[in-house]
Amino acid sequence: MSTLQPKRQSPAFYALLVALIVMSVGPIMLMFTTSLRLNVDIMSDSSSLFFMPTIRNYETALCDFLWYEAAHIDYCDKTFGRALINSLIVATVSTFLTLTIGCMAAYALVRFRFMGRDTVSMTTLLMRMVPPAVLLVPVFGIWSFQFGIDGTLAGLVLAYVALNLPFVIWILQSFISQVPIQLEEAARMDGAGPFQVFFLVVLPLIKPGLAAASIFTFRIAWNEFLIGNALADRDSRTVPVTIVNSITEFNLDWGVVMATGMLLAVPPILFTFVASRQIITGMTAGAVKG
Amino acid sequence: MPRIVFDKVEKSFGSVNVLPPLDLTFETGEFTVLVGPSGCGKSTTLRILAGLETVSGGEIYFDDRPISKLEPKQRDIAMVFQDYALYPHMNIAQNMSFALRLGKRPKSEITAKVNEVAETLNIRHLLDRKPAELSGGQRQRVAMGRALTRDASTFLFDEPLSNLDAKLRAKMRTELAEMREALDKNMVYVTHDQVEAMTLGERIVVMKDGVVQQQGSPEELFKRPVNMFVAGFLGSPTTNFIAGHLTEADGALRVQGTGFDLPLAPELAARVRDRSDGLRDVVVGIRPSSIGLEPTGAQLELTTKVSEYLGSQSVLVTHCGDQEILVELESSDRIQTGSTLSYGVNLSELMLFDPKTEQRI
Repeated sequence: MSTLQPKRQSPAFYALLVALIVMSVGPIMLMFTTSLRLNVDIMSDSSSLFFMPTIRNYETALCDFLWYEAAHIDYCDKTFGRALINSLIVATVSTFLTLTIGCMAAYALVRFRFMGRDTVSMTTLLMRMVPPAVLLVPVFGIWSFQFGIDGTLAGLVLAYVALNLPFVIWILQSFISQVPIQLEEAARMDGAGPFQVFFLVVLPLIKPGLAAASIFTFRIAWNEFLIGNALADRDSRTVPVTIVNSITEFNLDWGVVMATGMLLAVPPILFTFVASRQIITGMTAGAVKG
Repeated sequence: MPRIVFDKVEKSFGSVNVLPPLDLTFETGEFTVLVGPSGCGKSTTLRILAGLETVSGGEIYFDDRPISKLEPKQRDIAMVFQDYALYPHMNIAQNMSFALRLGKRPKSEITAKVNEVAETLNIRHLLDRKPAELSGGQRQRVAMGRALTRDASTFLFDEPLSNLDAKLRAKMRTELAEMREALDKNMVYVTHDQVEAMTLGERIVVMKDGVVQQQGSPEELFKRPVNMFVAGFLGSPTTNFIAGHLTEADGALRVQGTGFDLPLAPELAARVRDRSDGLRDVVVGIRPSSIGLEPTGAQLELTTKVSEYLGSQSVLVTHCGDQEILVELESSDRIQTGSTLSYGVNLSELMLFDPKTEQRI
C-alpha cells in the first residue's frame, strides 16, 4: 500500500524547482519592475525592490494613443506606436494567409493522388530545416532588387508566410488525415460539392490543428527579428526591430525599452489564450465506430 | 423510382481487377441484398452505384439515363454507411438536415421533415445531442434518419448493422424489415451476413470475386442453389459436402462413399441421366436440417463427436467414415456423445455437385 502514497520529495528537488522558476520568471519580473521605474531609479546605485511605481514609461511608449496630455512628455516619439500597428498587421495578416493556404495545401496533399505527392510532402519539411539566417541574404536580395518590396509590410508578410507555410502544412496534414474519409463521402452523398465538403465538414473538425498552427505562426511572425531587420525601413519596422534600434550610442532609455518589451509580450499571450481554447481533443469522437 | 441497370460495369484499382464486367438489374421498388464474403466486390458495386467510385468501363442506367459520370449529388441516392459517418461537430438535428440545408430548402420544411423522421425512428429526444453522446444503436438510427430525410429515390446500405452487438442487430433488422414495407423505394443492401440477407432481401444477389453467382428470392437460393458456393454460403449451419461416386444397381441410381450409400430421388436421378458426360465422381450436399432421427428416407450411420446445444435446436458434429457431417436436431432429442446411431436423410433435399465445375446437377 505504501507505494500508493505520494512520495516525499527531497529538499533538493524543491530547491531545483525554485531555481528553475527563478530562472524563467526572473527576467520577466525584472523587465516588469524596471518598466515601472523612472530612469533615475533604474540607474541609481541604491536600486532596491522598493520604489514608487509609475506608468510614465508606458505613457512615453504609447504617447500617440493617449487620450490625455501626459505632463512629462515634451515631444511625442511615434516610433513605437507605429511599430506596434505594423507588428499587429504583419502578424495577423501573415497568420491568416498562412492558415488559409496551409489548410488547402495540406488537404490536397492528404486527399488527392497526384504525381510527386510524396516528394512535395517531404520537401515542405525539408524547407523547415533551413535556418532563417541562411535565407536572409537571398531574401534580402530578391525582395529589394527583383520584387522591389523591401520596406513594405507586404514584403514582410510574404516572407513570414513563406517561412511558416511548410510547418503549418506539415502540422495540418496530420490533423486532416485523422478526419475519417467516410465523413467526406457522407457529405458528398448529402449533396455537398468539394468546397462545401472542405469548409463545412473538414475545416470544423481540424479546428484544434488550426488553432495550434495559428499560435505558432502568430508567435513567429510577431517575434521575428532577423528578416524584419533586414527588410523593414523606418516606416515598416515591427516592434522587435524597433526595440533593438532604439538602443543607440547616444541614448538608452531603459524604462521605455522595458515598457515596450512588456507591451510586446501582451498580444501573443492574449492570442495564445484565445486560440488555445479551440484546442479541444477528441473533436472527431462519435463520427465513426472505433 | 428508377429501374437501375448495370451494363457491363467494370472496376479496377490499378492493375487489380475488382469487378469483371458486371451485369445486374435492380427492379423498381425492390429490396435487393448483395451478399458475399469480404473482398467479393459487393461494397465496390455499391460505391460505384453511389458515385463514390468511378467506373473503369461500362455504364449504369437509371431507367434510360446514363449516370456513371454524374456526381453523387446528381444521382438522387441516399446512403447509410457501415460506421455511421455522422458529422461530429453537428448535433443530431443538424446531421439529419445537412442535405436539406445544402439544398437550400425553407427552414420550416426542414424542421418538419427532421421531426417527422425522428418521430418514426424514435430519436426525437436525441435531436439536440452530439453524436459522441450517443450509443452505437442510436448512432445507427441517426445514420438511417439522415438518409431518410433526403427523400431520395434509392437507398443504399453498406453493412449498416455490422457494428452492433448481436441483440441490437436482430432488433434493427426487424425495424429495417418494417421500414422496407413502409417505404416504397429502391433499396440496395450490402452485407456479408447471410442471416441478414435471408431475412431482409426480396431478392438476394450472391457474389464471389466480383462475379454474380446466383440471384433470386431467399427461398429459391436456399432450395435450389446453382453451385457449391451458394449452397455453402446460405443457410446456417453450413451445408455438408461429402465426396462420393455414382453407382447403378437394379436400374436405380445410388450415390456411394465411405460410410454411406444413398439412393437418389427420381427427379435427381433423371437429371443425372440427362447428362451425357458420364459423370461418376460427385460431391454430395446435405443440409444439416435434412438429416433427422425419423426412420423415414434413406438411412445414414453417424457417430456423434460433439453436441452443441443452442436452445431449441442443437447441432451435432458427427463423423461418417472420415468425413465430418453437421446435423441439426430438435434439442429435445438428446444424443449421447460418442454414440453411433442411424439417421434418416430427406432425399428430396439431397444435392449433387460436379466436383470439377462445382455446379449443381
